[in-house]
Amino acid sequence: MSEKIFEKLSTAVLEGDSGTSVETTQKGLDEGLSAGDILHSGLIVGMNEVGVRFKRGDMFVPEVLMSAEAMSEGMKLLRPLLAKSGVKMAGKIVMGTVKGDLHDIGKNLVSMMCEGAGFEIVNIGFDAAPEKFIEAIKEHQPNIVGMSAMLTTTMRAMGHTIKAIEEAGLRDTVDVMVGGAPVDQEFADRIGADGYGANAPASADLAKELVGIA
Amino acid sequence: MTSSNGLPIVVIACKVFQSQLERLMPENMAQDITFLDYGLHRVPDQLTVAVQETIDSIEKPSLIMLAYGLCGNGLRGIKSGQHTLIIPRTDDCIAILLGSRKKYIQEFEATPGTYYLTKGWLESGSNPLQEYNEYKEKYGEKDAAWIMDQQYKHYERLAFVAHTRNDIEKYRPQAQEVAKYCEQWGFRYEEILGSDSYIQRLIEVATKLDQADKEFVVIPPNRETTQAMFMR
Repeated sequence: MSEKIFEKLSTAVLEGDSGTSVETTQKGLDEGLSAGDILHSGLIVGMNEVGVRFKRGDMFVPEVLMSAEAMSEGMKLLRPLLAKSGVKMAGKIVMGTVKGDLHDIGKNLVSMMCEGAGFEIVNIGFDAAPEKFIEAIKEHQPNIVGMSAMLTTTMRAMGHTIKAIEEAGLRDTVDVMVGGAPVDQEFADRIGADGYGANAPASADLAKELVGIA
Repeated sequence: MTSSNGLPIVVIACKVFQSQLERLMPENMAQDITFLDYGLHRVPDQLTVAVQETIDSIEKPSLIMLAYGLCGNGLRGIKSGQHTLIIPRTDDCIAILLGSRKKYIQEFEATPGTYYLTKGWLESGSNPLQEYNEYKEKYGEKDAAWIMDQQYKHYERLAFVAHTRNDIEKYRPQAQEVAKYCEQWGFRYEEILGSDSYIQRLIEVATKLDQADKEFVVIPPNRETTQAMFMR
């Protein structure tokens, strides 16, 4: 029975069907499935497939957006239950899109996947200057700083931000992970990031790895 | 016409540069010109494949002038094979359309949230208004409006770039129609007279390869482009 619900959930996410996603999430809960299982065996499975198809060019931005929304709507029901379940948080991530870049769809998607992996997210928005990252690090003392950029023109700001974090004497207190359409491992290495997430699911895995719970 | 190293010149260009190249390239400069579809940059992996296939289909060793930038990494991992490649060292077409990387950076720093519009984008229907109409057809009005909102709500400006006064006049009504649609997100509309200087230089250095400076990436035979080559 639970298999059927999980499949329906992953399909709802894949098809960007928020109504079915919410309905089925609720149905799963009513039937006694755990919030964690619904998230990991249902919603996230669908979102992982979205990532694969998008990369292949079989899915486009509008569909990805609707899929993310479908997952997000299901997440709303699960969030309070996940918090209540008393599972120890995996860690804290300050997440933002770097200076000059206004694209926050990917960053929000990564935030959601990391949240699903048990992290507390401090979302500092888009067009976030290095100073904003530094302030957030001082205030929230995260384990990880996640930076996103959508353009090759703006991804340079990731390097500038890492440098600013260094100069503020905070580099040793956090791991830095980077991602976004134009970013690759080579670039991440070049600017001295601790990790690169090729897509939202991979970024959540990376975050777990960085805090040593993968 | 051949390059200074005696190779025949072949041009592979994004359609966005078609009118500029046709206006500026000396007659008989190129053995062959291929214009590839505008929309390829949306899926950079497909752009890589399209450019690579076009390169690989050229039989004689040639100097290939690629009118592209890094284009979201679409031009990363391009293998020269038996050919020599010359490519503008820039992120994307905007710097080339505006005439220099410096001008692009100025515009970018002044208003990062700019959506650039060219006559090519208008003609091919690659603009927010057309996008909305396509989405409406596919996903219905409500979802289409939501999708557009997600993508464009943070932008501030619609900049129409054209290279002649004539083109600006001619395409203004279409550009303004797009601008009107984008008013819902508070876009302001501006017209920018582009410059031919970058593409003109590209044409020049294709014939005199030894004059290629840091504005260009030159790839000898049997090498491959990397992202870092386009950075400066």
